[in-house]
Amino acid sequence: MSLVALSELLGATVRDVSGAVHGRVREVAVAPQEHPTRIAFLIVATSDGERVLPASSLKSCGASVRAADDARRWEKYAPSDGVLLLKRDLLDQQIIDVHGRKVVRVNDVELDSALVNSHVALSVIAVDVGARGAIRRLTQGLVPAFTMRALLEKIPPRVIPWQYVDLLETDPARRVKLKIVYEGLSKLHPADIADIIEELPAAEREAVFETIDEDVAAEALEELDPKVQVSLVESLDSERVADIVNEMDPDAAADLLEKLPEDRSGEILNEMEPEERIEVTQLLEFGKNTAAGRMTTEFVSVPDNGTVADAIDALKQFEGSREAVATVYLYSVAYKITGAVPLVKIAVSPSSTPLLHLREDAVTCVPDAPDDEVAGLFDKYNLVTLAVVDEHERLAGIITADDVITMLRHAS
Amino acid sequence: MKTKSIASFKSWKVRLALLLAVIGPGFITANVDNDAGGIFTYSQAGAQFGYTLLWTMIPITIALIVVQEMTARMGAVTGKGLSDLIREEFGFRLTFIVMITLIIANFGNIVTEFAGIASSLELFGWKKYFVVPLCAFIVWVMVVRGTYNSIEKIFLAASVFYVCYIVAGVLAHPDWRAAAFATVTRPEAAGIRNYSYLYMVIGLVGTTIAPWMQFYLQASIVEKGVTAKQYRASRWDVILGCIFTDVVAWFIIVACAATLYAYGRHNISDASDAAQALRPLAGEYAYLLFAAGLFNASLFAASILPISTAYAVCEGLGFESGLDKKFHEAPVFYWLYTVLIVLGALVVMIPRLPLVYVSVLSQVVNGIVLPFVLIFMLLLTNDRELMGEHINGRGFNIVAWTTVVVVISMALLMIVFH
Repeated sequence: MSLVALSELLGATVRDVSGAVHGRVREVAVAPQEHPTRIAFLIVATSDGERVLPASSLKSCGASVRAADDARRWEKYAPSDGVLLLKRDLLDQQIIDVHGRKVVRVNDVELDSALVNSHVALSVIAVDVGARGAIRRLTQGLVPAFTMRALLEKIPPRVIPWQYVDLLETDPARRVKLKIVYEGLSKLHPADIADIIEELPAAEREAVFETIDEDVAAEALEELDPKVQVSLVESLDSERVADIVNEMDPDAAADLLEKLPEDRSGEILNEMEPEERIEVTQLLEFGKNTAAGRMTTEFVSVPDNGTVADAIDALKQFEGSREAVATVYLYSVAYKITGAVPLVKIAVSPSSTPLLHLREDAVTCVPDAPDDEVAGLFDKYNLVTLAVVDEHERLAGIITADDVITMLRHAS
Repeated sequence: MKTKSIASFKSWKVRLALLLAVIGPGFITANVDNDAGGIFTYSQAGAQFGYTLLWTMIPITIALIVVQEMTARMGAVTGKGLSDLIREEFGFRLTFIVMITLIIANFGNIVTEFAGIASSLELFGWKKYFVVPLCAFIVWVMVVRGTYNSIEKIFLAASVFYVCYIVAGVLAHPDWRAAAFATVTRPEAAGIRNYSYLYMVIGLVGTTIAPWMQFYLQASIVEKGVTAKQYRASRWDVILGCIFTDVVAWFIIVACAATLYAYGRHNISDASDAAQALRPLAGEYAYLLFAAGLFNASLFAASILPISTAYAVCEGLGFESGLDKKFHEAPVFYWLYTVLIVLGALVVMIPRLPLVYVSVLSQVVNGIVLPFVLIFMLLLTNDRELMGEHINGRGFNIVAWTTVVVVISMALLMIVFH
């Protein structure tokens, strides 16, 4: 088993079984539907057009390529969307480095060549994004090969293993054929996904957002820079945006829709699930820089005559954000807010404990409380969540600490 | 009837709002185009050749519009910078060569901006050994800290200074008929064999259609998030910017022709010579006006050129870039940016360096580099896979290829007749 660089393979002379030179390597192809990493065939530029040399008939591979069969048996190459062409689709292109969590440009591709059943099996193992690949490509053909190898040995490699590489492809049909699903990217923290998205060109942003799951997209969208957020949402179709917005926190969704032109946000609202639509529409009616504009309507509340077990049931059924569960709110018969219980107290108390024993006074504010008042309350009482109550002292929504941090950072 | 007029009024308002919203990349680039190199080169052209070189203005304007439009369109359609596209389509080695060339040409421009800073402040009697390092430091900090973004508008507003040349040009009572005739006449055949004539024409082309502008404009269009759909409004921004640049250029040449050339002062050796062109407007205070204008233009361009070079080079060669990154995350980016500024300032501090001569020379280098950058741009804008329906039209190709051929021929002739 040994390493071959894509840039060494490209342009290499190709000999067939007779030993006669028939052309040069023009492309190296992977067929992801058959195998994710194995090279399926080489495209050879011959005097008789582009021919396909199947990987199964490769006898040796390196500065020159040797085939085990007769050149006359190589078929004419017919372009297909379903194969990944390493030179065209990968070399010099941008990819997502899932491990390093950034967008990088490919300087070279490292292939592994191993002898299997008397033919050479080639497979992609890593992409080179460092100086080694860059210098190899710069000096190729200008410096004798052995000098170059000796020189390159001294340069520490900077490679990304193939399993951490997410390809960027803007054509949706081709993404399906090449099996590009952004599995690695989807597993990252939403804030990291957002950072990566911000580094991409517009079409590539769309491509990623059309492909990843709605819930991942929703979380990442919340973390995006507002400018990028709007331009991205405007480029996606309303149905897809509605699917993503459905999964977002209602307050984040309202913030987003507010920034869009009215006809566009209307379109998106129409496509949304009725329940989410009502919540978001209500939030949209409040002033932007008030408590009501900042709050989310997804919170945990239970009757104040219940026990810890009731609170835990309510928590189990809760589908809102993680930040919102920090406090369980209590209400009386008329849904009037009567107190709050921190999550910690629930976690450490026996399940039969009445909630009234754990009760603390809930810190509240009115819906039109301005931003600085909200921030002041968080500061004074060291809050994690703040209750927003209407004129009948009913809980309308809560503001969570992460929203306040965002608010303060944007204000300064 | 009434509703119709309201509707048309509304659409007119919408259109104006759209235009104002996209005023930016094209117009800013155009303004930075009239930097120290521009002012010195146009002044020298007027002082040395009078009205003779005015014929270049119309073809240069057409070429400028075509080239800038191509750049902006590429940015809007692909959402990628020019160096990214060169890398993706032409591979590592060619990109490397283009980037080295760009660094050399842009370094010349950066030296020129510091030369502009030095010579403008020398008019106030301030020594360059003190003010140039100070301004270099200010530029470095301003850009890295992001203060630049908030004062870009101030630079832009101060660019109103260029109007002075229009007024000065009028007040100098030039021979309007001769100037107008010289603008539309064809060039005299003898110029082809004249080294200093060719040198000046290439300088004029290079300073007006500078290679750095293409990289900077395309990056700005991408940064602003202009897409193919909104591109129509950006196109007007670009075209108006180009016309504005060249109207100012025309008046600088005319003002210098009507004053310096008319007084027999055919060679501008320092800024105080160039300032004389504003005498008809400001009399004794011409030097003040000129110094303020040149200082603003130079500092404006000095804030843009080093950083845009660092971005273009790092994006093309695949180094981490961006002011939101820390120094250790993007070392090549920050080093390149810093070295360009420090070396640029150091060169200007060489004692008795002929600042105006160096400035014009750097614009000639721009002119020689331009056709090569243009060839890449032409190949890219004619690539259907990349540009789709926004591929270059025939007229654009003719103008751009003509520019390539003419500039290369002039450069070759210049070498032959040296």
